[in-house]
Amino acid sequence: MKKILLVCAAGMSTSLLVNKMKDEASQQGIDVEIKAVAKEKLTENIEGANVVLLGPQIGYLEDDFKEAYKEMQIPIRVINSIDYGMMNGKKILAEAL
Amino acid sequence: MNNEMKIMQLIAQGGDARSYAMKGIALARKSNITEAKAAIKTGRDAVTKAHHIQTELIQKEASGEKQEITLLMIHAQDHLMNAMTVLDLAEEFIYVYEREEAK
Repeated sequence: MKKILLVCAAGMSTSLLVNKMKDEASQQGIDVEIKAVAKEKLTENIEGANVVLLGPQIGYLEDDFKEAYKEMQIPIRVINSIDYGMMNGKKILAEAL
Repeated sequence: MNNEMKIMQLIAQGGDARSYAMKGIALARKSNITEAKAAIKTGRDAVTKAHHIQTELIQKEASGEKQEITLLMIHAQDHLMNAMTVLDLAEEFIYVYEREEAK
């Protein structure tokens, strides 16, 4: 099963997005684990993730994270702020898979 | 746009602005002053978008249409305030780096 990890400053706004993405996944019958964590908790949650998506508010950390976790070879991307603001779970899920 | 969407816009645009401000500081540290200033400009544009929504919400409340205060709304206000502060300070940082460069 694929694991998508969403990261933001407190894990609050991404938690809402996780719910939208989970709804979308269950509607489409996709078996996927989606989890939101605060940026301080990334290290203890990154194991086994297929992709890491950053909230736009911590987009500036993209390069730092890529450098810190480069040996794990997990794609790390920033969520488009328009999709994020509109809570476009469908699009963000499709891009993550 | 429903209220949850508006709140998420505040978080996304405010967050984007803060992120550009932080990128601006990092660029200035590496002596890319022009790019740093461009990042601040992009950040200002994002915060302006957030502020339009904020103004709309405040005007509604001022005209008697009470707004529901949720924890998420407070969180969004936190993001917006943080974005504006970090942008202002980032401009100062860039100014200082630029002055150091000129020496």
